[in-house]
Amino acid sequence: MLSDPAVPGLRGEAAPTGTDNAAGARPGTDPAGTDPVGGAPVGGTGAHEAQESAVQARIADLEKRFGDPDDEGNPLSAAHILTADEAGELPRAGERLLDELVFNAEYVPTALGGRLDRLDTLVRVMRQVFRRDVALGLGYGITSFMAAANVWTAGSGEQRRRLAELLLDNQKISVAYHELPHGNDFVRNEFRADPVAGGYRLRGRKEVINNADRAAAFSLFSRTDGKPGSRSHSVLFVERDRLDPERFAVLPRYEAVGVRGCRLTGLEFDDCPVAGDALVGEVGQGVELALRSFQITRSAIPGMAVGALDTSLRTVVRFALGRQLYRRSVMEIPHAAETLNGAFLDLLICDSMALVGTRAVHLLPDETSVYAAAVKYLVPKTLTDTMYDLSIVLGARFYVREGEFGLFQKHVRDLPVLSLGHAGSAACQATIIPQLSRLARRAWFSGDEAPRALFSPREGLPGLPFDRLALASGKDSLSASLVASVDGLPSGSPEELAVQALVMKLLDELRQLQEESLNLSPQDRTALASPASFALADRYAVLLAAASVLGVWRSARDDGGDPFLADPAWAAAALHRLVRRLGRRPAALPPSCEGRVHEEVLRRFHERRSYDLYDTPLAG
Amino acid sequence: MEHRPFSVAQELERLLGDPEDPEAVFSHAHCLELDEREEFPAEICRALESWGLQEYYVPAEYGGRLTDYETVMQVMRVVARRDLTVAIGHGKTYLGGVCVWVAGTEEQARRLAGDIRSGLPVSLALTERAHGSDLLAGDVVGTAADDLDGVNDIDGIDGTEDRAGNGGGWRLSGEKWLINNATRGSLLSVLTRTRPEGGPRGFTVLLVDKRTLTPGEHYRQVPKIPTHGIRGADISGIVFDGAPVPADAAVGAEGAGLETVLKALQLTRTMCASLSLGAADHALRIALDFAERRELYGRRLVDLPQARQVLAGAAADVLAGEALATVAARSVHTLTDELSVAAAATKYLLPTGTEAVIAELTRLLGARAFLKGVHARGMFQKVDRDHRIVGLFDGNTLVNLNSLVNQFRSLARGWQRGTGDTAGAAGAFDLAGGLPALRPERLTLVARRGSGIMATLPESVAALRAEATGRPELKGALGTAERLLAVAGRVHEEMDTYRAVVSDVPPAAFDLARRYCLCLAGAAALGLWAHNRRAARAGRTGGLWQDAVWLWPVLDRLLVRLGEQDGPEPDAYPRLLEQLRAAGAAGELFSLLPLRLSATAPPTGTGTTPGGAVRESTGTGTTTAAPGAVRSGATTAFAHTDTGKPPAGGDRTSEGTSC
Repeated sequence: MLSDPAVPGLRGEAAPTGTDNAAGARPGTDPAGTDPVGGAPVGGTGAHEAQESAVQARIADLEKRFGDPDDEGNPLSAAHILTADEAGELPRAGERLLDELVFNAEYVPTALGGRLDRLDTLVRVMRQVFRRDVALGLGYGITSFMAAANVWTAGSGEQRRRLAELLLDNQKISVAYHELPHGNDFVRNEFRADPVAGGYRLRGRKEVINNADRAAAFSLFSRTDGKPGSRSHSVLFVERDRLDPERFAVLPRYEAVGVRGCRLTGLEFDDCPVAGDALVGEVGQGVELALRSFQITRSAIPGMAVGALDTSLRTVVRFALGRQLYRRSVMEIPHAAETLNGAFLDLLICDSMALVGTRAVHLLPDETSVYAAAVKYLVPKTLTDTMYDLSIVLGARFYVREGEFGLFQKHVRDLPVLSLGHAGSAACQATIIPQLSRLARRAWFSGDEAPRALFSPREGLPGLPFDRLALASGKDSLSASLVASVDGLPSGSPEELAVQALVMKLLDELRQLQEESLNLSPQDRTALASPASFALADRYAVLLAAASVLGVWRSARDDGGDPFLADPAWAAAALHRLVRRLGRRPAALPPSCEGRVHEEVLRRFHERRSYDLYDTPLAG
Repeated sequence: MEHRPFSVAQELERLLGDPEDPEAVFSHAHCLELDEREEFPAEICRALESWGLQEYYVPAEYGGRLTDYETVMQVMRVVARRDLTVAIGHGKTYLGGVCVWVAGTEEQARRLAGDIRSGLPVSLALTERAHGSDLLAGDVVGTAADDLDGVNDIDGIDGTEDRAGNGGGWRLSGEKWLINNATRGSLLSVLTRTRPEGGPRGFTVLLVDKRTLTPGEHYRQVPKIPTHGIRGADISGIVFDGAPVPADAAVGAEGAGLETVLKALQLTRTMCASLSLGAADHALRIALDFAERRELYGRRLVDLPQARQVLAGAAADVLAGEALATVAARSVHTLTDELSVAAAATKYLLPTGTEAVIAELTRLLGARAFLKGVHARGMFQKVDRDHRIVGLFDGNTLVNLNSLVNQFRSLARGWQRGTGDTAGAAGAFDLAGGLPALRPERLTLVARRGSGIMATLPESVAALRAEATGRPELKGALGTAERLLAVAGRVHEEMDTYRAVVSDVPPAAFDLARRYCLCLAGAAALGLWAHNRRAARAGRTGGLWQDAVWLWPVLDRLLVRLGEQDGPEPDAYPRLLEQLRAAGAAGELFSLLPLRLSATAPPTGTGTTPGGAVRESTGTGTTTAAPGAVRSGATTAFAHTDTGKPPAGGDRTSEGTSC
């Protein structure tokens, strides 16, 4: 299980009962105190090209090693992955493969000997794993990545060095926030680290923790102060070998409907001593640290899961082309074709949003809190909804746990883990809600637009500014890009005109959102917010998705990038989908838009290319 | 108000006992175990048979207890609410028999009635591996057996029967796949291609009696297929290989199979509502329990505005589904020749509506929707998985919408001219009125005069308008009703622009059909309200009927789903939520009419009653281990429950922190 508690309630602050100015008053969150980030990427153009080809080679190698999913002889075929799932295990061949590659290096910053320099690259690489098996992606690595984010953000030099060492030795690290009674309201967590001479004494339970039974170390979110509030918790980085085995135990495994291969257990400590050097950052910094590292994990993880939908779409395209129904192929049924085109557009929308979310961590770290929450809210939800649409095309075959569509069925069970209930989407909305009125007052229709580099999939980036992520922001360069785009939009072709008209509708929507956000009552900025506030957060997330799509298209067009991405057809179709999602009824698109998108769906199927922004060659 | 379908359902519910009692045969714990082991719930089915559930699959004229479809629906809803595997696994026998009730001879019906009443499982075998819902593509072939040897030796149970049609019967070959009870069923209604070229008149339903065939020679079973949900059900297949089938096995005339099936499906599609209603009841109940107990941000979840809206919205959707399903089930009798409309709308709207309710409630439950054995033993995820099949079988979402698209012209014309059978609709609305026996010969494939249910919409709105005069508390409901009426007008105008569409249905037409269904649900809700508003105020669900408390949110949700408004009108819901919580606290089903749920003690409505919290944590059948057991290696059987186990040295009580 993802132990990302998504939104917390910072009691008296951001989520639950905060007042508008509380966010700004939080330590380390004053936007004015945050250094502007240099927009200039590191290195020259040649360096970027080299970097990009290195990434492509890494992905190609990974694909090759995973092999053809349809080849029964391949130990990592879809059938074998299904067998492992049935057995409640991660595919051993998959873990072995990743171990051989020292895949954990993807989570270790380059400065510490790993390969982590860019979040968008991490997403691209991880997507190849999620494409095959969501459980493997989560259970092999992502929980380690989440645990590590805390240490990279605030750990001491020694902690970072040690963590890097463990990861590069193929060890797992567990991230332990979760306590079932509190879910995302982790500010109320009870697991205690009582200060004692020379360190802390751990007491209590952490539940539904991935890999707790086999991790070499744990990031433990612990109460270090009995008082309520957001300064009462701290993060401890604790190595298993250094714990008294008599004083801690692993809880029995939790069974879940999806990601069955993940080893979800828990930890129970009984006055277990740990040394003082386990503390990550400062005492009482736990909530803040959690919120900072969530910005990284929330931005990145949803984009990884895009891989599962990519595979599912490919499966359904194959079905639609091969299956005869009513004396023709399913693909010839207009509703089926439209559903598949729509799924591809959803993938592009999700990937645009994930791209912007991850690149914003590098380029706009002081604005990331809202973007990360929007990504984590909207992308998993869209992926789940789109899987549902695709399942309608598959019909009863989707229900079968084996054979050609077994993996599709597995993805249906696995994907929802990314957007768990109050622990997920609502909590992310609750991060956004308290910031709406400030954004409405200070940011929308007035700020500077985002740097063009935010939208360019393969362009270089400055390093990961773990220490510069702000907990709240009064800026929104992404929306500003939407506003600023209006003047320069081309209006030659029918597709370009369609984009233009849709952007006008989106601006109307932003204006309306601004008006309604200004009218939010103080109570409506908390976890006690009305459903109407949650609806505002939803609409805002959709607007950010639209701004991302628009940015990606403009950037591709201006830079002479990927010809499909540079084509206004997909942008118009994607924006059309988003505008309808906002409850508006835009004018019908020129038919050429749908045609162009459909052509691309078929081309990528036949040429075995990924259904995302990268058009990556696939092994199957 | 006393209402027969509910009293029969009540009798069964009482007999089945508390589903939380692990000693009960039909307990949730038992169902979850069977699901994990992928085992058919045979013992539970036997218990249901001892009550006589199978009698409700047999029309009264043949000795069964099927007098009206509303009763069958409420009875099956009781079963489905506990477990869908059981409901689908057992209820399949109704599907197996229905072609005979619709088109069979008196003799066939009597014989089949005897078999079903004795507890024999019967199955309906339509789909094939390569063709899914495309029935016309069926490759299971029946070859005339006149000139084949041996067939005359095998003529079913009663060899003295006169043969209908062509004398010698058939040799049956080919595979039916993904068939519920293909293996367990002793008899199968098999849609068979009896003309080599197929076509609309090229298929016949054959009632194949496996007891007369030699396994291994005439047929072999395709093993149970592992499925996403209803894991214990017998979803399998059968391959016939020259199986001799006597001439009197033909149900209806030779070549009439497709028509027979399509008419029979109108009945089964209507009855599918019971599965979706039961699943929604169950999911809503689990989520409500959770919201009542869960503490977040220093409040109970049920006190957080967003969670309240989710619960109330789900409650409204459930009642909207119940209203449509009730009217549709009654219309089997009173509007038989319009069932092609009500059945398609019901089969589309109930499964998708319940799927949406479950999805919403999933967000409320968070990790507990996903984990097994933490909240409500993980039953929620089972309900979710199990219910997904309901939208897939018996004609999926698209098939049903398509069937409405095919009727757009007559529906639009009927609306303009007011030709739908409004008297029949009134009979469906008026719960106090009796229902005439079904005359299956009145089933038709197209509702030529339009929909009587829809045609009553203006008069129902007028009734509400009249009632609302001087009663400001009805203004909200009236406003939504007026808007719904306007939307219905526009929807019909749009439908009228589609000329008879045979193939290549444009995607927009599907969406229009979807909106039609929502309008029809509104018409059903308004009709029910208008005809029962006085009588229904008397019963234990009177609080829902008082001031049209249920009607406003139901119509409001329909408008939201129609895309007519951005979000719910907040004022419509608080009283509905009160009713939902009150029903939960009182151990009553949340429903338009009262039904008391079996429980050893009334469940807690507050989460603060120690007894209530304990009740949920005990009796799981997998008792929680003492802390010591966990510490010593964590290998013992152990169930994670929210309430089961205090943390080591923790100071929480199980009540205080329950789920």
